[in-house]
Amino acid sequence: MNKPLDPAKLAPADAFEQWRREYAEHIANDRACENRSGIAIKPLYTSDDWNGARDDIDLGYPGHEPYTRGIYATMHRGRTWTQRQLIGLGTPAEYNARLRALIEHGATAVSLIPCNSVFRGYDMDEVDVELLGTCGVVVNTADHMDTCLAGVDIARMSCAMNDPSPFTLLAFMLAVARRRGVSFGSIRGTSNQSDYLSHYVANHMFFRIALPGARRILADHIDFCVRHVPHWNPMSVVGQHMQQAGATPAQAVAFAFATALQNADDCIARGMEPAAFLPRFTFFFDISLSFFEEVAKFRAARRLWPRLLRERYGVDDQRSLRFKFHAQTSGADLTRQQPLNNVARVTVQAMAGIFGGLQSLHTDAYDEVLSCPTEYGARIAVATQNVLREEAHLTDVIDPLGGSYYVETLTGQMEEEILRNLALVQNVGGMYEAAASGLVQRLIGESAQRFQAKVESGEQTVVGVNAYRVDEGASDRPRVQKIDDDAVLAHLAAFAAWKSARSQAAVATALNDLARAADAPTANVFEHVIAAAEAGCTHGEICATLRRELGFGHVQAIV
Amino acid sequence: MNIVPKVLVTKIGLDGHDRGSRVVAAHLRDAGMEVIYTPPWQSIDAVVKLAIEEDVDVIGISSLAADHRIVPKLMRALRDADVASVAVIVGGIVPDDDEAALLEAGVSRVFHPGSSLDDIATYIRSIVPALRDARSVTWRASA
Amino acid sequence: MRRDEPPATARLLAGDRRAIAHAISALENDAPGADDLQRALAPQLGRACVLGITGPPGAGKSTLINALLGEMLARDLCVGVVAVDPSSPITGGAVLGDRARMGEHGGHDRVFIRSLSTRGHAGGLARRTDRVVDVLDAAGFDVVIVETVGAGQSEVAIADLADTRIVACPPGLGDALQAIKAGILEIADVLVVTKGDVPGADATRRDLADMLRLRRGGSDVPVLTTIATRGDGIAQLVDAAIAHADRHGRGQRLRARRNADANGERVARLSARDPFVRALGIECIGGGPGCATTRLRIAPHHVNFNGGCHGGAIFALADAAFGLASNSHGTTASGIEAHIAFHVGVREGDVLTARATEIARGNKLATYRVDVTRDDATLVASFSGTVYVSARTNEPASAEAAAPPE
Repeated sequence: MNKPLDPAKLAPADAFEQWRREYAEHIANDRACENRSGIAIKPLYTSDDWNGARDDIDLGYPGHEPYTRGIYATMHRGRTWTQRQLIGLGTPAEYNARLRALIEHGATAVSLIPCNSVFRGYDMDEVDVELLGTCGVVVNTADHMDTCLAGVDIARMSCAMNDPSPFTLLAFMLAVARRRGVSFGSIRGTSNQSDYLSHYVANHMFFRIALPGARRILADHIDFCVRHVPHWNPMSVVGQHMQQAGATPAQAVAFAFATALQNADDCIARGMEPAAFLPRFTFFFDISLSFFEEVAKFRAARRLWPRLLRERYGVDDQRSLRFKFHAQTSGADLTRQQPLNNVARVTVQAMAGIFGGLQSLHTDAYDEVLSCPTEYGARIAVATQNVLREEAHLTDVIDPLGGSYYVETLTGQMEEEILRNLALVQNVGGMYEAAASGLVQRLIGESAQRFQAKVESGEQTVVGVNAYRVDEGASDRPRVQKIDDDAVLAHLAAFAAWKSARSQAAVATALNDLARAADAPTANVFEHVIAAAEAGCTHGEICATLRRELGFGHVQAIV
Repeated sequence: MNIVPKVLVTKIGLDGHDRGSRVVAAHLRDAGMEVIYTPPWQSIDAVVKLAIEEDVDVIGISSLAADHRIVPKLMRALRDADVASVAVIVGGIVPDDDEAALLEAGVSRVFHPGSSLDDIATYIRSIVPALRDARSVTWRASA
Repeated sequence: MRRDEPPATARLLAGDRRAIAHAISALENDAPGADDLQRALAPQLGRACVLGITGPPGAGKSTLINALLGEMLARDLCVGVVAVDPSSPITGGAVLGDRARMGEHGGHDRVFIRSLSTRGHAGGLARRTDRVVDVLDAAGFDVVIVETVGAGQSEVAIADLADTRIVACPPGLGDALQAIKAGILEIADVLVVTKGDVPGADATRRDLADMLRLRRGGSDVPVLTTIATRGDGIAQLVDAAIAHADRHGRGQRLRARRNADANGERVARLSARDPFVRALGIECIGGGPGCATTRLRIAPHHVNFNGGCHGGAIFALADAAFGLASNSHGTTASGIEAHIAFHVGVREGDVLTARATEIARGNKLATYRVDVTRDDATLVASFSGTVYVSARTNEPASAEAAAPPE
């Protein structure tokens, strides 16, 4: 039958059939597609898949349940996402210089990544000097924090500290606030990645104190902040770590939800009101290159979270039900080969996050895979966001992909897959039990191996790695940021001098108080961490004290 | 005699990302090798002790961040402990300049991101027989 | 080996760590010179207290061992640990992750940890685990701990390997407890309920104590509770293990081994003078006190009129193992009754293995069970039999006077 039929004369079902036949005839080799979460993807979606009949249940309007289209009525049109680029390099002085340059170029918030030595709970004089300041700023004292934030109005700037338990960086910042006469009530920001469970199962670097102790200190931290630092988000639940470690996008959301529910349960168990702490819960997610899957993932999460809260805690108010999240473009998708391609990758990832309705975004620099990003790379990363917002006008319409047959169908399917994975964890007694038993680590490891198998076989193309390869030499790769070894050595020397000049008695007393608080189940450990910070205790001393009292945080090595 | 390569997969330094090392460890197991797998943050002394006690053929260091910068320290510690005929390979993020320095310090090979798991397994199999020969000992019935 | 170094054996006996490790490798891999090495070690054996620690997965054995190391180090002891992990039956590879859980004390220079994989050997142990333990014994370690994966009857293997057998059970085993009790509880010298702070720990301890009452000598077996992460119960466990070793003497395993070797050699001799077994193509591949293993590849002449393996061939294979096991102690045993149940079809080309184990042995009667498996581990038949035991030896002094087998 070669004469084209007049579509107007065909019943809709026949038109669809005709398309299907033509598709089958002309497609060279049709391959079965499935996305990273394992959901089968079809070549075409129509009103048969989703037709808006349950619009009010599935979709609604921005700022109202079911929240699918956004948690606020205005979303990015009213207030753009926070451009929160993670930075951290070398010494506090270097950090401060880079920070002020970024602010000048449009960054609207502060973020701080400390050195790996800080993540591991050590002071700079406790680790190999070759490892200092290579990927983050070496902050060990309140004075260092003061230098980092020199010339920054902390009463107005929102700060995100990558600051795991026992939250010494926030403690240093509060000490600085007191020095500057800024009330705790004006301090705004997030204890980024404060989620000890995600550290235990993935990205172990942040896991310092044994599970029971970490659990208690987090609850103390949330409790303190809710009462005394009301504009601070003490709970940043991390799905990013798990996705970076290989969890599928649906798994990452499921495990993040399980963690959030676990933490909420723990807060309620110690007498806190859900409405008091839930508004201060934020999420942090990875954005992979699987564009539509990521958009659907975020929309599904935003719809699902309030439902879970209602069911479990009977919560009713909007502030508690809003699913707020920060997202970072996934470094796991970037390549060392042909690094400029990473700019394209980051652009796609950022778009997915924007269409997914994030509240704050970090775009990776293209040279992230070679070492810590250079200033040049960081600038392009910020510019990418500006291009998307102001040249491509991506934010002129709220939830522009809403109503797409594909995106709405996929949103529903992602929601199911998230719930399925959540049930696996809840069935063994919740996230704490699941993590302690190693279940979550095994599930993530299996997903990682499955994905790697696809890359090894070529089923998943990685441009420049298993396809479209080009011979490259060292000259094809950007020069790597060199650490200023002299600056680090000077920093070390200054630290040694400072330590011998401070009041040893005040330090000893403060650490003793901290140890006693750790042993007293009803004391608030975080309160004593702040006191220790103000008394001149170092980050390493505070961590060592708590590790001694509450146990060193060993992780499981599960293959 | 069928040689079953014995490989240590570990991380020294400060970084904690272990997705890569876990995937490599699983692959080497599936390729028929015996893999000793540790959590991150092993001290150099612990790695040397383990290499001796387990009589490993290969030490595989997974490195992100700047942890490769202390690999030369590991090489020196192995030499000081008289650990001979054990190959050290490094996998992960290593800038070009530093790769040359590692090879000079005695590292056998550096595998960058995007390296094929099969290549790693094949390389290990190719070097193990010679390492075993060099480590073989003559035993006598009387002390 | 550097020319100016003393010979490897001398270094090993002096406790040199590299020499110890190389010796273990030589034995593990059956390297040339392994026999010489064993001969060199023989006079130095029997001083170490060998503890076998087994139990189902999830019992927290490695964590328990780490706690034991701490306690033993505090008592100035030198401790060797052999940690056994299972190999993949398909690829032969393994991830050896146990020692990672012993990291806290594993770095101490009075601790030596070696990981082995089973490499297809049944019973949760590597084939040469006993010789590896010998190396550590000869090298002067005060205590040698052997850790193995266990659940079920194959873990009886650890019985011969250790002087003191410690079985670790996680709380709340429930049905699993029933499954493991037959083999494991029979051999335990000390029972430990781990993770004592978990609900159900106390109930598990009571259940185990109850089960012990049914066992001969069970009232001598202490049942302890530990919380390894806190160090609770660890000192008591070390005390109980040392008390057991003192009571029964160190080197117990060597005496058992000498008996087993003698029995194994006897089984091989008996099998060699059995014309029926030879005619069918059945070979004896192992034996010990009260046990024997035979093997048969199903050839065309073993096939029946339906094209499958003749039941008589399978019966003969199982009966051969039965006969050797019952005669392994050196006295003549004659079969009284035997029964076989066939579970799955067997075809030409399959390789069958029959393992006979002794269920009970009295003065006059003894009963045996034989499991016949195929090389893919499927159980193809179950055989049981009873013998009448006489006091007559089945190995007369001179070869010519050999009595015909009954």
